[in-house]
Amino acid sequence: MSIVAEILMIAGSAVAVLAGVGLLKFSTAYARFHSAGKASPIAFIIAAAGVSLELGTSAGALLLVGVLAMSLTLPLGVHLLFQAEHRTGDNSHLIIDELTRDQQAAPAADED
Amino acid sequence: MTVVALIGFLIAGLMGTIRLVRGPNLADRIIAMDVILVSLMGAIAVDAARRDDPANLVLLVVLSIIGFTATVAASRFLTLDQTEESS
Repeated sequence: MSIVAEILMIAGSAVAVLAGVGLLKFSTAYARFHSAGKASPIAFIIAAAGVSLELGTSAGALLLVGVLAMSLTLPLGVHLLFQAEHRTGDNSHLIIDELTRDQQAAPAADED
Repeated sequence: MTVVALIGFLIAGLMGTIRLVRGPNLADRIIAMDVILVSLMGAIAVDAARRDDPANLVLLVVLSIIGFTATVAASRFLTLDQTEESS
């Protein structure tokens, strides 16, 4: 196994561990979502780069489809999760809360 | 040497399960499930490299779509009581 592939795989797993640490250590829900939603796809992309170096182009194409499927859909899911958390959770700890301000400023949008 | 990568993904999955168990509200559990799923996908990819056969790489696409659908469905479920009040 080539050394570059191993280094990339270990770097990918290190970023995944960082996502786990971010998930445990942060206090507010938004910080946890942010760290998990950002670090986990990056971890998978780095690891997939290492694996595709190792397995050649045909497996690399498969991995590229997996990476594209993940990087197009995961941020959307995490964004929906942020919105759900914003609606149900208490937002008192937020210093700047533009979503609530915009929601109150745009009541006309809900009628149609 | 790639055992270290597998162990790293295992640790990330364990941290996700800790948050899954301890998570105060449902949204934390959903994001913990997402982290577990991504570390599983990373472990599958590294295992395919170690075994040197790209047979089960197709799993990754299925897992990412399942993870996305689960996150969207669960977050929709979270705001269920909100939509009834506003409509």
